[in-house]
Amino acid sequence: MMEDSLVLVERFDAHPDSRCWHVAWNPTGTVMASCGGDRAIRIWGKEGDSWKCLSVLQDGHQRTIRRVDWSPCGTYLASASFDATSCIWKKKNDEFECLTTLEGHENEVKCVRWAPSGNLLATCSRDKSVWVWEVDEEDEYECVTVINSHTQDVKDVVWHPTRELLASASYDNNICVYKEDDDDWECKATLEGHTSTVWSLAFDPSGQRIASCSDDRTVKIWACRNLDGPGDMSWTCVCTLSGFHGRTVFDVDWCPLTGALATACGDDGVRVFKEDQATDPDKPVFSLVAHISKAHSQDVNCVSWNPKEAGLLVSCSDNGDIALWRYKGGQE
Amino acid sequence: MAQALTPGVSFDRIFLADNRYQAEGYREGYDAGIRQGKLEGKAHGASHGARVSAEVSFYYGFALTWKCLIQNKEDAKSKKHMRCVETLMTRIDDFPLGEPQYENLLEDMQKIRTKFRQLCSLMNVPTDFSDYTRSNSQMTF
Repeated sequence: MMEDSLVLVERFDAHPDSRCWHVAWNPTGTVMASCGGDRAIRIWGKEGDSWKCLSVLQDGHQRTIRRVDWSPCGTYLASASFDATSCIWKKKNDEFECLTTLEGHENEVKCVRWAPSGNLLATCSRDKSVWVWEVDEEDEYECVTVINSHTQDVKDVVWHPTRELLASASYDNNICVYKEDDDDWECKATLEGHTSTVWSLAFDPSGQRIASCSDDRTVKIWACRNLDGPGDMSWTCVCTLSGFHGRTVFDVDWCPLTGALATACGDDGVRVFKEDQATDPDKPVFSLVAHISKAHSQDVNCVSWNPKEAGLLVSCSDNGDIALWRYKGGQE
Repeated sequence: MAQALTPGVSFDRIFLADNRYQAEGYREGYDAGIRQGKLEGKAHGASHGARVSAEVSFYYGFALTWKCLIQNKEDAKSKKHMRCVETLMTRIDDFPLGEPQYENLLEDMQKIRTKFRQLCSLMNVPTDFSDYTRSNSQMTF
């Protein structure tokens, strides 16, 4: 059935003798930032045919850097660390400098993400809370809210692609969706269905659906009918992808250009799923269209589609590697 | 000595002594347990209550100090900070310290702690008040 292909383009050791936790494309898809257990952020750019390390950002964090994210303008980089802080880095003539350190979480910060507007930033932590920060014109960051809707470690936060809507995933097996209401942020929906830790979330390009992946070895697709409506939102699980993953699914990413869904798994595999076009949108069916069983020699921690070049996928692993893949859909 | 004339009763008393003393012993032990439990519960409640009270009072004093420092400032930023201070103080005012059976105790306590942390972040105060606030330290990914 698998007629599509995933071909290795390049592989390099990004964080030697350490885990590579996350890799993020800049908004134009020309540069990548990676972070890892070596407390360093590396910036990667293409020189000729291969990817080279352009700079190493050190001394920002005392412990493992779990996550990096580019601002929508591409000038800033945010990093989340187990040292309980997040750093904001600003690009200046091909160099990055640490602009500010956001403090407030009690312990390990697990994720940081910019809102599409670039005016808000969300962080989440093992302290069970989600923080929203506001950025002003002078590059100053202020916490506008602290939300405590989860009962356990919060693993991931993600913004809606066009609206000021935030979703978080937790060790308590749930997903929460938040909206600003009367000057404060509130949990408007709790998505229950996974039977173990939810590791990562991704909105589809239209923002009508969320894909979630979990320690229960499944990926779930959730849809919302009343995104704009007053009152609480209602999200329902419209599809569960089970039986495909041999272990925990650590990351999921929905390609903004092709709609393909990629997953990173603890069984060292990278998989790509596509929605069957003919099916009822209320009961979508997703098929596994490409699978590399030993994409890395250890757990795959992250997958990310290039935002501009359709089908270019990057993955990174516990063994410190980054791999670039070219996905070719058989139907195109 | 009427009982001595009815050997059946006397025999029963001996025969059922085991049961009777067990029941008596149970009752005495039960009463003693209740007394002991009350004492321990009281001590535990007092120390726990004192901890909660000390924590909440500390937050209140912290908020009040910041209120005094910034309430006369007119800039937009201070006004925003003032809103956070006031929310924290309202939450503490509304917190029923004298009502240990209050069902949302833990939830409200969490909200107060959260607001306090936000205020610390806004004021650039390092939140190293471990003597007053609670914390935990295990590793997770």
